[in-house]
This record gives sequence, C-alpha cells and structure tokens, in this order.
Amino acid sequence: MGILSEYKRSIIVILLLLLASPLLGIVIASRIGYREPLDIVAEKLGLEEKAIEWSPLRDYSFPGLPDTIGYIVSGLVGVVIIIGIGLFLSKKIVSGDYEEYS
Amino acid sequence: MHIPDGYLDAKICIATYAVVIVYALYTWRVLRKKVSQYTLLSASVLAAGIFVAQMIAWPIPGGTSLHLLGAALAGILFGPLLGFYVMSLVLVVQALVFHDGGITTLGANILNMGIVGVVPSYYCFRLLQKLLRGREKWRIVAGFVAGWTSLTLAGVATGLELGLSSVFPYSLEISLAVMSLWHAVLGVVEGLITGFTVEYLYRVESPIVKSSRVVLEEVHTR
Repeated sequence: MGILSEYKRSIIVILLLLLASPLLGIVIASRIGYREPLDIVAEKLGLEEKAIEWSPLRDYSFPGLPDTIGYIVSGLVGVVIIIGIGLFLSKKIVSGDYEEYS
Repeated sequence: MHIPDGYLDAKICIATYAVVIVYALYTWRVLRKKVSQYTLLSASVLAAGIFVAQMIAWPIPGGTSLHLLGAALAGILFGPLLGFYVMSLVLVVQALVFHDGGITTLGANILNMGIVGVVPSYYCFRLLQKLLRGREKWRIVAGFVAGWTSLTLAGVATGLELGLSSVFPYSLEISLAVMSLWHAVLGVVEGLITGFTVEYLYRVESPIVKSSRVVLEEVHTR
C-alpha cells in the first residue's frame, strides 16, 4: 500500500462516511421517500427510465445482503475501484516520478 | 441529478458525448506532461471521497432530498481540468457499476456535473479569493459561493437538456424552472459543505491540498 499511506487520514474519513451512509442514504431516505428535483421533473413530464440490466450492484445493493449492509459493501466496492483506477493510472500513464511534498 | 437512460433523445445524447470527448482530449493534452503520480493519486482519493459523500442523502423538509454533488470541491481544489477528471471518474464508475445515471446519458451527466459544475466554481473561488485579497478567514465564504454556483449551474444545464430533448414536447419551461429553482435552493447546502470541507482540508494541510497547489500553479496560474 506504500504510496497510499500518505492518505491515511482521508481514507479513514471516507470509511467513516461509508459506515454512516446507510443511516441517511437508506433509513431516512426511505422514511421520507427519496425524491430529488430530477424526480419531480420526471414525474411532471411523464418520463420513464429505460434501463438495461447489466450490473448486480444496481442502486448500491449487494446480492444476498440486506439493504443497509449491502449499501456499505457495494460502496466499498466503488471506493476500491476508484482508488484502484487512480493507482493504475498514476503508475502507468503519468511520466513524472513520485514526488514528495512535505 | 444523474439522468437515467430514456430521459434524453439521441440528438442530445450524441451532442453531449461529443462535447465531453473534446474536453477530455484537451485535458489529456494539457495534463499529460504536467501531472505527477502523486497529484493524480490525490485527485483519485478525492474522487473516492466524493463518491461516498454522494451516497449520503440529506433529507430536506417538504419531502425532497439531495446529496452532495462535490463538483465545486473538485473544481476549487484541482482546477477545471483535473477537477473534470475527478468528477468523470466518479460518474463513470457510478454509471457502469451501480446504474446511477444511464449509459446513453453519461455524456450529459459528465457535461453537467464534470464540466458545468466544475469550471465556473474554480473561477468563482479564485475571483473571490482575489477580491478578498486572499484573506484566510474569508476562504470559507468563497467556498460557499463557489459551491452554490456549481450546484445551481449544474441544475440549470440538466433542466436545459431535459427540456430540449424531444422525448416530451413543450417541456423546456417546466424542466428549466423546476431544476433551476430547486437547485438554487439546495445549493445553499452544497455551498455550506463545500466551504467547510475546503477550509478543513486547508487547515490540516491535507496531502490533497498540497498536490492540488502544485497542479494549480503548474497549469492554471501562468
């Protein structure tokens, strides 16, 4: 993980937010009904989503897990993919060397 | 604000994809030689943070809710080009892995949240910093205004695309009015979170801020 140790604090904050996310993202959202402005427009215009099923992690769920745990696990998958892409790009594509700013 | 598949017609989908591809090529050309490994990794860690922050829905009295967009955060910290990379990374993973936002509408979503939400917020923040003579205690205010501007403009762009799309006729007035108005209101929350987060990252001298300084000096302040 070497190079990532620099980001220890940021990664801890990300993981804490992830643990807290179902509380607001699922529990409260389902109690008041998640509705963002785009949904209001879609309803007024009669728009319908035409999605093709391609991912088992649709809407931040995880197959076989209850909503709240699934939300955290699929979120973790997302975080790992994003940081993984970042690591890959920073190693393969960038020509400059690793620099230390401290 | 993530537009799902089926909300936009083919013309708008193609046009928005074209704009995003041109902007991405330009970003690649400018940044290729100037970005260090460290900077790119910092930008990606910020992307992971924004991804998680977007999973948290804030309930708003009256039955609406919103999540942080984070485009202003990306723009303020990493500028119009690397900030675009941050938001694109988030949006591509959301669409491909989580169905959050469609694939045909991915171009529009990146245009709204990765360009319209990012670019003005950077210039807004810099301009205010300059007007306030870089006084640190005002940084949080500059962050607030940039965050509000970012969410409102992204909302306006989304409303325009939905309205111009021929999926439903005579809808521009409705979609533009609803999207602009709501996002101008919700922008207050975006502004507050942006202001506080920017202030916090500067205060603790986060590695994200350190590497963002380098890219801003190298690329955007010549």
